[in-house]
Amino acid sequence: MAYIKRKFFYFILIAYSAFTFIPFLWSLSTSLKPQEEVFQTNILPQSATVRAYGTVFTKIQPSFPSLFANSLFIATVVVILHLIFASLAGYAFARLRFPGRDILFYIVLGTMMIPDQLRLVPIYQLLVKMGLISNQPSNYLAIFLVKAIGAADIFLIRQFFLSIPRDLEDAAKIDGAGPFQTFTRVMLPNAMPVLATVAILTFQGTWNDLFWPSIVLQSPNHWTLPFGILQFKGQFSTDWPPIMALVVLSTLPILAIYAFGQRYIINMQLSSSVKG
Amino acid sequence: MSKSTSELLRQSSPSALRRKRNRSEALVGWSFVSIPMALFLVLSVGIFFYAIYISTFRWGILGPRGYLGIKNYKQAIHDPIFLKSIRNSVTYAALVVPLQTALGLLLALLVNGKIKGAKFFRSAFYFPSIASSAAITTLFIFLLAPEGLFNRALSFFGVNVPNLFNQGAWLSDSRTALFSIIGLNMWTTSGTMMLFYLANLQSIDGSLTEAGIMDGATRRQVFWYITMPLLKPAHFFVVTSGMIGALQLYDQAILAGGADGSPDYSLMTMVLYIYNASFRQFEFGFASAIGVILFVIIFSLTLLQRYLFGSGAWRGEN
Repeated sequence: MAYIKRKFFYFILIAYSAFTFIPFLWSLSTSLKPQEEVFQTNILPQSATVRAYGTVFTKIQPSFPSLFANSLFIATVVVILHLIFASLAGYAFARLRFPGRDILFYIVLGTMMIPDQLRLVPIYQLLVKMGLISNQPSNYLAIFLVKAIGAADIFLIRQFFLSIPRDLEDAAKIDGAGPFQTFTRVMLPNAMPVLATVAILTFQGTWNDLFWPSIVLQSPNHWTLPFGILQFKGQFSTDWPPIMALVVLSTLPILAIYAFGQRYIINMQLSSSVKG
Repeated sequence: MSKSTSELLRQSSPSALRRKRNRSEALVGWSFVSIPMALFLVLSVGIFFYAIYISTFRWGILGPRGYLGIKNYKQAIHDPIFLKSIRNSVTYAALVVPLQTALGLLLALLVNGKIKGAKFFRSAFYFPSIASSAAITTLFIFLLAPEGLFNRALSFFGVNVPNLFNQGAWLSDSRTALFSIIGLNMWTTSGTMMLFYLANLQSIDGSLTEAGIMDGATRRQVFWYITMPLLKPAHFFVVTSGMIGALQLYDQAILAGGADGSPDYSLMTMVLYIYNASFRQFEFGFASAIGVILFVIIFSLTLLQRYLFGSGAWRGEN
C-alpha cells in the first residue's frame, strides 16, 4: 500500500514537471519546423530547418541581435544601479543611526503600494519635459531613471544586514575604520549572497519587463526583446516558427542565469522577509 | 567575547567623542540614503501627488487645458468600457489569486519533504515563472490556437473540439478569453508562490508538528491546525502581492487581445484602459483619474488583507 502511494506521489511530481516543460519544448520544436508542419503533433520536426532563426537574425527590423543588445544593456545598467542604491540604503536603514531613519524607511515601504500605472502619466510628462522621450540615445536614460531604484531590494538587503552580528562592525571600528570603510571593506563582502539575489531578480525583472519599455522606448533601435515580441507577433500573425524562435532565444539567457544562480533564488528569495 | 569588548569601548569612550562619532554616523547615514531617497521622493511620492493634480484637469499632449475638478472621475464611472475593465480585472484577481495560491502551496508541500530529486522538482515547478510574460503569452496563444496543441490534446482524450461551445477558439471567444489567461497565469505564477511557501515551510520548527502527532492528531489535523497557521507570513505575502499583481494585469491582455482587449473587450483590464486613455486618446487627465481609482482599490484591499491577517504578518521578523 505504502509502495503504491509512493509510486503515485512520484507520478504526480513527474506529470506536473512534464506539464511545465512541454510548452517550452514545443516552442523549441516549432521554431525548427517548416511552416507546413507547424500544427502537426510530432515533437521532432520531420524536416528540421533553421529558416526561422535566419529570419529573426537577419530579416526582421530591428533584428534579434539588436533587441538582444538593448535588453542586455538596459538590464545590466539597471542591475548596477539597483546594487549601488539598494546596498547603500539597505545598510544605512539596518545599521546606521540617524534622525528620520524610520520615517524614511516607511516612505520606502509605502512606495510599494503605488502602482506603476498611476505613475505612468506624470512620469511620462516629466520625461517629455526632460527631453528624454526621443529617438536619440538619451532615450535610454528615461528607462534607467524609471527603473533606477527598487523598494523591495532595499527591504531585502536591510533584512540581511539586520541578521548579521554587530561584532564585525565593532571589530572594524576598533581597528580604526570609518563608517564608509566599514561598509565597503567589511559589510559588502559579507553580503555577497543577498547582493547576488538582488542582482538576479533585478536582471530577470528588467529583462522580462514589457510595460515601461513599451511606453518609454521610441525608436525601434531601442526596443527590447519583450517589446520586439509584442510588435512582431502582430506582423507575423500565422508564421509561427520565427515567433517561436524569438520566444526561445529570449528565454535562453534568463534560463542560463537561473541555472547559474538558482541556489540564490531558491534559498534567498524573500526568505528573510517571510520568516515567521 | 567581542561583544564585551564593544561594551568596554562604549563605556570607556568619553561622551564628547561618542557625540562626534554619532554625528559622523548620522552624516554617513544621510549620505548613504540621499540619492535613493531623492529618487523615491521625486519619482514615487512627488509623482503620486502630481498624478492626483493632473487627474483634476483636462490634460492633453501639450499640457493642461482647463480645470475639471472631479469630472474625470464622474466620466470614468459612467463609461461602460471602464466599468467592464473593472469587472474584468476584479474577476481575474478574484479567481487567479486563490488558484495560484492553492497550487503554489500544494507544489511547496509536494517538494518540501525528503524526497528523491527534490532539487530537480523544485526547479521544474519554478521554471514557468522565469520566462518573460511576452514570451510565455505568445507561446500560449500558439498552443491555444484552434488547431494548436491544447485542442489536439483534448481531441486525443476524446473531446469533440469543433462541437465545443466555443469551437476550441479559447482566446478569440469572449466567453473564454479571460479564463484562458487565468489558467495561463495560474500556471506561471504558482512557481513563485511555491518558493515563498517553501521558505516559510523550512523555517517551521519540526518539533511542533511532531508534538501534534505525539498528542494523537491525524496528519490532516496537524496540517490544518498546526502547519497552516504557522504559514501565516507566507499566506499574507503571497495573497497580498498576488492580488496587487493581478489587479495590474496588462502584458497578457495586450499580447492576447491587442490594445482593445479583444474579443469584445473581454480582455480590457484597468491598466489596459489607462494605456488606451493615455497613448491612444491622449487624455492624460482622465488616464490619471483611472490610475488614482486603481490605487484606491489596491490600497483598500491591501489594508483589508492586513486587517484580516493581523498586523503581525505584515513585516515578518523585526
